[in-house]
Amino acid sequence: MMQVDIWFEQLEFVLIAGIVIFLAWLALEHRDIVYAAFFFGFMASFVAGFYLLLEAPFIAGMQIAVYTGGISALIVFAVLLLPRAQDSSLETFASPRRRRIGLVISSLVGMLSAALALFFPWYETFSPDLPPLEFNLELLSQWLWSEHGIYVMMTALILLTAIVGAIAILQMDKAESLISIEGEFGIESVEEPIDDEASIEEPSEEVGNE
Amino acid sequence: MMVKRNLIRILIGAEIMGNGVNIALVAVSIYSPAFSFVGQGLIILVISVAAAHTALAMVLMLIYNRRYNTVDLGTPIALEDDEHV
Amino acid sequence: MRLFLDFVPVLVWALLAVVLVGGMLFASWVLRPHVLQNSEKTSSYECGEEPIGPARIAYPYNYLVYTILFVVVDVMGAFLWLLAGSSFRLDVGVVWQVLVFVLIIMGGMGFAMKKLPETFLSGQETLTLYRKAKIERELKELETGGH
Repeated sequence: MMQVDIWFEQLEFVLIAGIVIFLAWLALEHRDIVYAAFFFGFMASFVAGFYLLLEAPFIAGMQIAVYTGGISALIVFAVLLLPRAQDSSLETFASPRRRRIGLVISSLVGMLSAALALFFPWYETFSPDLPPLEFNLELLSQWLWSEHGIYVMMTALILLTAIVGAIAILQMDKAESLISIEGEFGIESVEEPIDDEASIEEPSEEVGNE
Repeated sequence: MMVKRNLIRILIGAEIMGNGVNIALVAVSIYSPAFSFVGQGLIILVISVAAAHTALAMVLMLIYNRRYNTVDLGTPIALEDDEHV
Repeated sequence: MRLFLDFVPVLVWALLAVVLVGGMLFASWVLRPHVLQNSEKTSSYECGEEPIGPARIAYPYNYLVYTILFVVVDVMGAFLWLLAGSSFRLDVGVVWQVLVFVLIIMGGMGFAMKKLPETFLSGQETLTLYRKAKIERELKELETGGH
């Protein structure tokens, strides 16, 4: 019975690893960049399956919520906001020298990870005393919030930096014609503003006239 | 990722590598002789920091697009007679 | 391993979703009348005018900031979700830490709330913008005489 257990676990791992690697290759190499962005989101969901294999259910949920729901959406937004990226004729091929360097480095990394994965005695280091899964959430939150709460505060500061930095660096303009509109409040303007919702927003000048 | 010149593909490649590192981190917590929550706890912080820095990487990409009106990485070299050189 | 077996129904459901959608698309492809790719039927409809240029427009950059806001609040939610499953979430030592955490991120959101309304067009500006555009269009139609 033990044999079937180990064999099944290996099969699961190989299956999910194969799917993840295939999707990752597709995400990088597909011609159409919209497909690539969606394959990346798909791959992030399968990586959550990896986390389930490694007995981390909360991490799997967080991966789907943050990576697939957030970062993948960010990448789709990048594709949306940059119309030049959707032109697949812009994919120029790398020079042969770059390709050779890339091949050398990737083969080095591949050999190192193969050595680690296949020759290192992993099963001896497998600890026999895992806390049961029902307490995973409780123990994990205790580790994070009680013992290492300071790092959570630092992460809050980093997230604050992200918001403030994004708004400050990205100068979002209204329409450029608005700069001259200030002096045009003449007879035709009304006393009361009609509504204060965002009605239209002009696109920035570089991408307006294609 | 190193041979690609499209900025968005480079970003996707960096994210995929980050995912690989996260998997290794969670694997540490199970395969270590004394089980501790270091792997799982650290990965929560790493994922959140990766989210923040992906957002800022996108902002930088948009500024690059504003300047050169393309997402190709070869344009600053190709435009050698720029006045900012 | 046991956890993975618990989640196999999710995998089956996802596969079912893919198979169903793929099946419906395939069925519609089979039942469609086939049209040549370059014929007039496949060009986009523009009320009788000839469409010029590709249909991909560029969205304003403002929408990115809302996505970044969402990601930050999502990460904060994940942290709080972790805490909600614990039994010590009402201890004094933990509550003030959570409060500081939430306040820091809400401070960032407050900054966004101050800065983002500058990117909207208020009512008066929208009105004048519309009026200007309408006058321009009428001038153009006068020149071209109804194309």
